[in-house]
Amino acid sequence: MRHPNQEILALHAGGDLGPFARWRTSRHLARCESCREEVARFDEVRQSLPGLAEVPDLQWNRLAAEIKANVRLGLAAGECVRSADPPLRQSGLIHSGRAVVAFACAMVLVVTGMVLERPLPRAAREEGPLVQNTQYGIEVTAGGETLGLTNNGVQRVTYSLDAQGSMGARYIDPETGYVTINTVYVQ
Amino acid sequence: MSDVIEPGLELLERQNRFVSEHFRRIFVQIYHLVQNVADAQDLTQEAFIKALQHQEQLKDGQKAAQWLSRIATNTAIDFLRRSSRATFSELEDGFESGSETPEQILLRSEHREYLEDGLRLLSPRERAALIMRDVEGLPAEEVAQRLSCSKATVRSHIANGRTKFRRYMEKRKR
Repeated sequence: MRHPNQEILALHAGGDLGPFARWRTSRHLARCESCREEVARFDEVRQSLPGLAEVPDLQWNRLAAEIKANVRLGLAAGECVRSADPPLRQSGLIHSGRAVVAFACAMVLVVTGMVLERPLPRAAREEGPLVQNTQYGIEVTAGGETLGLTNNGVQRVTYSLDAQGSMGARYIDPETGYVTINTVYVQ
Repeated sequence: MSDVIEPGLELLERQNRFVSEHFRRIFVQIYHLVQNVADAQDLTQEAFIKALQHQEQLKDGQKAAQWLSRIATNTAIDFLRRSSRATFSELEDGFESGSETPEQILLRSEHREYLEDGLRLLSPRERAALIMRDVEGLPAEEVAQRLSCSKATVRSHIANGRTKFRRYMEKRKR
């Protein structure tokens, strides 16, 4: 004889099976004592559980007042937090307005970047002093005159340039063996 | 808010009325799941706050009670998940005991403790399904609605719950 599994018997005890499964299980139970005992044990479980339905005898009015006050407090606290945050739901108009502003900002940034990247006109560059490295060393040209700081004929020189307009040359002096650093500041 | 509670009243008054209308039912529902007055009170408050903060989600005002029950059930299940420990401290503190002898009170307290120990062996959803079905006597369809799952899943939870509880009872008898 094929017995129904525990799940079926557990559900049958509480009347939780569909009509066909219930009918089939009932038929089996009519001729199977061991399964009837199983169902009886599940029934015992079900009958013991309503002991948990009891609710303590509480002061309901006081409890209601406390709950209402705390709910109010909780909602107010939630409002405070929410007002500090950006609103979650906005109308399509606000959304599209913000999109336009964001796009405009992006465009301003791009245009500013392009203007700053563009090389200065030659005339403007020639107006101020010009500092550059040559095969002899660092040269500063201003007002048609040039001043040079030579590297004593050293070929392996490391040049550095900073945003303030200064230029440095670093090399090892072949005569002394010292590291020599020349820096020219242009104002 | 207008869907949940009557429009036209002051907001505060409407919120109070909404809480007054449902708090006892929600408290009892949560208490059955957590079996502790202090936790049930905290979770009842939490459920109401969630409901009132998200009332725009409720489209049909007729279903406010059902919707609130679902929020309460989920709140209690989340709590049970968070706290694998379950404290059932004030066993007899608030229970009516005027007509009972001390022996009867003790026996009832022991029986309750025995049942609560069994509940601890169940997963939060099995526990919720079993309590709603066998303690509150709700039909499986309603249990499924409250747990936001299918009837087949609820049946499985109920069967597992009864089987685990039965094993527990048999073990304790030995």
